[in-house]
Amino acid sequence: MRGLTAAFEWQSRAVVGRHLRVYLKNWHTSFLPPALEPITLLLAFGLGLGAYMASGLEWNGRRVDYINFVAPGMLAYATFMTAVFQSLFGAFIRMRYQRTWEGQLTTQIELRHVVWGEVLWAALLTTVYVAIVAGVLSVCQALGVLQLELTLLPVVIPIVFPSACAFAALGLCFTALVPTIDHMNLPIFLVILPMGFVSATYFPLGHPLLAAISSVNPLYHLAEGVRGLLLGDGIGWHLASLFVLVAIMLGGLVPLDMHLLRKRVLGD
Amino acid sequence: MANMSLLLEAHGLVKHLGGRRVVDGVDLVCHAGQVLGLLGPNGAGKTTTLRMLYGFLTADAGTICFEGHDVSRDVGRFKRQLGVCTQDDTFDGDFTVRQNLEIVASYFRPRPSDVRRRADELLERFALATYAADKPEGLSGGFRRRLMIARALMHRPRLLFLDEPTTGLDPHARVAVWDLVNGLRAEGLGIVLTTHYMDEAERLSDALTVLAQGKVVAHGTPKSVMGDMLGEHVVVLAADTPAIAAWLGARGLGEPLAVLGAWHLPLSGEQLADFARAFPALRYEVRPPNLDDLFLKLALAPCAA
Repeated sequence: MRGLTAAFEWQSRAVVGRHLRVYLKNWHTSFLPPALEPITLLLAFGLGLGAYMASGLEWNGRRVDYINFVAPGMLAYATFMTAVFQSLFGAFIRMRYQRTWEGQLTTQIELRHVVWGEVLWAALLTTVYVAIVAGVLSVCQALGVLQLELTLLPVVIPIVFPSACAFAALGLCFTALVPTIDHMNLPIFLVILPMGFVSATYFPLGHPLLAAISSVNPLYHLAEGVRGLLLGDGIGWHLASLFVLVAIMLGGLVPLDMHLLRKRVLGD
Repeated sequence: MANMSLLLEAHGLVKHLGGRRVVDGVDLVCHAGQVLGLLGPNGAGKTTTLRMLYGFLTADAGTICFEGHDVSRDVGRFKRQLGVCTQDDTFDGDFTVRQNLEIVASYFRPRPSDVRRRADELLERFALATYAADKPEGLSGGFRRRLMIARALMHRPRLLFLDEPTTGLDPHARVAVWDLVNGLRAEGLGIVLTTHYMDEAERLSDALTVLAQGKVVAHGTPKSVMGDMLGEHVVVLAADTPAIAAWLGARGLGEPLAVLGAWHLPLSGEQLADFARAFPALRYEVRPPNLDDLFLKLALAPCAA
């Protein structure tokens, strides 16, 4: 319990503050990827692939243009990938190469704060990235490329933050387990990318087996929940499922992260 | 020592790592204005003991008290009083030298007052002002160590842990670090120091705690520790005299310490007189013992210690 409540302690905020300070030093380079990625993806998937699906595709019993289907999926996918990669590579580099954690642990900051600091930072960064992606989508809407229900776009932000916390907790688990940075390929190809594929972010899941697997994939519920908001279906059961899965992930993975990292960082 | 207040007191510290008892019932004390040297060969348990003392590791058994209060009751409050300079550089490579000092201040509550002025003060004192705007990676080994110590002092701790602070430094940089440690002691800071350099331990330490195989094998001033563990004299002679080994064996003095083709025999005054009578024609040198002898004794024959 103490491990979970550490999220609200000042030490966890101090760790986030440190990461934020580094980010702000490099904001001009950090800003570009989330701004350019949705443009590239909209061009590639929405306009490029979408041109081959002139009649759109069926979603929730109605036809929607592929570009309108894929745009909400991009918000979900950006949430997933940013959070996971930040807690995989960013955290691993700070733990192993920069030894930032060791320096922090000689102060009043304890391992549980370092873990929560990484999770919260990944979630904050993800939220900023998703807000940038949302901004790009708004511009595309203004240009007539998209036809979404943008009035509900701000609702996406409070959904993104806890989801990103859960994805970051998953990423940290692998950070604690992989022996070297070269071994990151294993969780990426065995877990992260399959989760991304079985999520209905870029294409609908028609096969019953994939549909069954996706029901326990939080990314699927995030993608479908955000899609429901932005295509006018309102807040649906996908968001409820998402929050249940997020709570389970945070309650289970954060203590596991702490246990694994205690062994790895402290040798204890 | 009577006017020095007791800062740190550890009793019966035990730690198992990887199924091995690495620290086995260690007791130690450190007073304000005192440098306590923690000595021992590789694997003796120095760093593990130090890590337990500064709260990085949790002891399996034993107590650690700061000014008489059990630190396990409020680790956070205890850690506010500690400064830690680890063996490896753990400064923050994303920040400049000055920012390193400023960022570490944010890891303490109550926050150190007037962070900017404190950073200026430390930059000046540690001769780092010229490099304030540089990244630490560009600094020489000596200046990196200074930065590490300055970081550990940013929040005005009362007890400082220095884990092998001069390892890898050239003699000039080592002396500079010694001067800083001496100055900090004079200001009343308690300092717990581990080192492999015996001259460093001898010059800096007011008290020594010697560890071997996770246990305290000696404690006291450097002179008393050497006297207790080595005797008053060390006889140095060529290592090709079989009669010597028999003579030592007959008196239960164990194996001689072999160093670069020479034997170093720690002996008491009485044993030296016996030795002189037993080998009147032998050529040898007699010198006072030093911490190198102690270190060798522990490293080469830890069970005998």
